[in-house]
Amino acid sequence: MAQPWTVNGLTPDAVFRSAAGRIILTRWREMMSYQEGTLAGTDIEELHAMRVSSRRLRAAMDAFADAFPPREFRRYLRQVKRITDTLGDARDLDVTIAHLDALLVDLTSIDRPGVIGLISRYQAQREIETTHIASLFAQLENDGFSTQFEKWITQHTGIKIAKLRPAPPETP
Amino acid sequence: MAKPRPVKGIQPSRRLRPNARKILAVRIDEIYQYDGLVGDPRNITELHDMRIAFKRLRYLLEIFGEAFTHDLGPFLDEVKRLQDLLGDIHDCDVQVPMLVAHLAWLEAQESQSVTAMLLRRQRTSLSDDSDAALAEFTSRLNAARRADERPGIHTLIAQRRSARIALYEQFTAQWRRLKHERFRHRLETALGIASS
Repeated sequence: MAQPWTVNGLTPDAVFRSAAGRIILTRWREMMSYQEGTLAGTDIEELHAMRVSSRRLRAAMDAFADAFPPREFRRYLRQVKRITDTLGDARDLDVTIAHLDALLVDLTSIDRPGVIGLISRYQAQREIETTHIASLFAQLENDGFSTQFEKWITQHTGIKIAKLRPAPPETP
Repeated sequence: MAKPRPVKGIQPSRRLRPNARKILAVRIDEIYQYDGLVGDPRNITELHDMRIAFKRLRYLLEIFGEAFTHDLGPFLDEVKRLQDLLGDIHDCDVQVPMLVAHLAWLEAQESQSVTAMLLRRQRTSLSDDSDAALAEFTSRLNAARRADERPGIHTLIAQRRSARIALYEQFTAQWRRLKHERFRHRLETALGIASS
């Protein structure tokens, strides 16, 4: 599983509001760093990493909800939830297909056709999920969601992305 | 899915730690509210809700970990273990009905295919030789049917049901152990929210 990015400048005596900004902005950038790989679709681990990051982001938003105006917060959370759910649907199919594939080796010849048929049905559903993911990100791009979201977090927490400089952990 | 209980008294302009304590106290309590309900393996909704409660606590311990001097790693491992077990139980609870639905889908597909084959049969001629005609018809019928796909699905259903029983036993053993080891008290002490 992809390692979470370190939250720069987060200290034990941090103020709740600024901790909210640091953590949410870091998790947002972390999640979006996997967008290109997810859309390319050549490595299912990219989508997995993006989904894990999206869940971390969503959890951070839930944890720090009180730092934001409730109505706007709900609107942004809804979009993040949409991303998590869309990625989740595809990921669940990836996991199920991989699991069934692994089972095939040990199955009898009587059981195998059914599992092969089920795999092909799930693969067809997975193709549909790929189009859902692509259209979701195209819509987010068209709406300028990323810029809006980052600005909104900065407005309510005082944390600027340029100063925070979120980045992936260095590989040894 | 049960919604998280609201947490009163959060002050965003104050330090992270006192606010984190308030949130964590409520989320820990949410897990224990399922204690009496998950003793029955048929309580699928409550088991699922307890999993969500464990998941919320896990993420919060990760998020707020920086604010506490105590090493929360061992607590996180325990929370994750229970969350994973409940997640595997939930997977079984979701997959069995999906596989049953797949059997019904296969039946519908088969029915459509056989109807289409019989309609084609009316438009095309078979061999004059009755044995050859029967063999040809049987071959076409078998190609249209999907009966050979059913045993594998029944096997998967049986496997999932059996796995569910074993997973539930593991979960109850782990849950009993946590209570025996006073996990809640130790965690609340580490977080500075223990009442006694």
